[in-house]
Amino acid sequence: METSLSFVLQAIANGLAMGGLYILVALGLTLILSIMGILQLAHGEIYMIGAYLVYYLTSSLGISLYIAILISMGAMGLIGLVLERGIFRPCKGDFLSVITVAIALTLILRSYAVAQFGLFERTVPKLASGSLVFFGVAVPKDRFVAMLIAAAMSVALYLFLKMTRYGQAMFACAQNPEGARLRGINPDLISPMAMMIGCALAAAGGAIAGSIWMLTPTMGTLPLVKGLIIIVIGGMGSLSGAIVAGIFLGLMDGIIPVFFGPVVTSIAPLVIVVLILLVKPQGLFGHG
Amino acid sequence: MLFQVKNLVVRYEGAEILKGISLEMEEGEIITLIGNNGAGKTTALRAISGLKSPHSGEILFRGQRIDNLLPQDIVKRGISQVPEGRALFPHMSVSENIRISGFLRNDKQGIKEDLDRIYDSFPVLKERSAQRASTLSGGEQQMLAIAMALMARPTLLLLDEPSTGLSPKMVTEIGRVIYNIHKSGTSVLLVEQNANLALSLAQRGYAIETGKIVLSGFAGELKKSEHVKRAYLGQ
Repeated sequence: METSLSFVLQAIANGLAMGGLYILVALGLTLILSIMGILQLAHGEIYMIGAYLVYYLTSSLGISLYIAILISMGAMGLIGLVLERGIFRPCKGDFLSVITVAIALTLILRSYAVAQFGLFERTVPKLASGSLVFFGVAVPKDRFVAMLIAAAMSVALYLFLKMTRYGQAMFACAQNPEGARLRGINPDLISPMAMMIGCALAAAGGAIAGSIWMLTPTMGTLPLVKGLIIIVIGGMGSLSGAIVAGIFLGLMDGIIPVFFGPVVTSIAPLVIVVLILLVKPQGLFGHG
Repeated sequence: MLFQVKNLVVRYEGAEILKGISLEMEEGEIITLIGNNGAGKTTALRAISGLKSPHSGEILFRGQRIDNLLPQDIVKRGISQVPEGRALFPHMSVSENIRISGFLRNDKQGIKEDLDRIYDSFPVLKERSAQRASTLSGGEQQMLAIAMALMARPTLLLLDEPSTGLSPKMVTEIGRVIYNIHKSGTSVLLVEQNANLALSLAQRGYAIETGKIVLSGFAGELKKSEHVKRAYLGQ
């Protein structure tokens, strides 16, 4: 009894932490997709590089973890700016070139990571040490810090989009690009912002993942796939949908392996996506 | 001269949609461009607003060429369009739609004053200010689209078929709104299929057919013209 309760609570905590990471990746993906019309398949690589940057900042330069995460978010934001201006803007409107460029970018960044960082697994300092005790069961504290960070960033993004002029302009561009241009909103001003925010959120997600689990050059694949699933389940361009779907997928990934083993774990989310789309083709929170 | 279009040619994928149209208007005028579906009316407005760059010809506003400017720079100079089909931001609230339409302005006080003025002239928008734009009726959406274009404080307002899809009662209401906007000093270029409405509001008019201006003159004269009667007024 004691042990099974401990398993379940651990699984829920793990699941919520994972859900938080998926949300950070998915929010960026959906922002970039709805504003720029680009499926940023290299988003997982931004997540991975952001994590390695935190690793070097903490291990080689001795910078404290939280400062390192902020620096990494800033640096990845700048890289997002460069990617938008240098790579994605020139192929705007050409679906095939965008996909080709994004895949190429994925391959280049991942190969670079293998060559530069090696295939060894590395770790970043813990977000928090020690445990919190629930019903007599100890759950590692860093899972809660991860959830808090993801929640705080989601709220900050929501407030930015809802309360500021540029945030509202992003919504406007996403809902009606031509209508936005007629109101004087320049897409070439809004797109780099979406890319910057998306990349910074991905970097934060990667750093947190690296701190709870491991760093590897291929660590970006899983959150990218989860991010895409979240966008589909949650509904294209819906932020609240992304958050609900992210928590849901994270919990499944945390809880299912404990009870059903790894095979069911990898299949279950996809089966659920198919079921959801059969009932609601536009996603849970999608607009018509 | 406030506004002038000279020999404007616009092509889409090789097809010439506008085959060299010219029109002009003085400050404070209200003019109309009437024509049937596919005549090139919307294309003309898209070129004026900078959404589509012309193949050749010139567009001048206060004597300066604007045909090579980006849409936001054209809005900044004082030309604001109410696009066809009430291009709103459907999942934003009515008040968010109006506020974001002042995107280029930095005068917070002025924006607030304009918002109040808009709510005064369109009480229904005030009533529905917290509702999503997509939940408004067709007529309310058209009011919102006009309010949004006014947030740029335009010198010249372009209206693309504001009467489309509205009930006769709503058409009269929109007509009154356009009349008041012109009354308050804004120049208006009204593009319409509904020639009856357009020619009763406008001082002068142009008729466009398959990309060419075929007739122009004072609204009263156009109304009496046999061609207009036959082609546009259904008499």
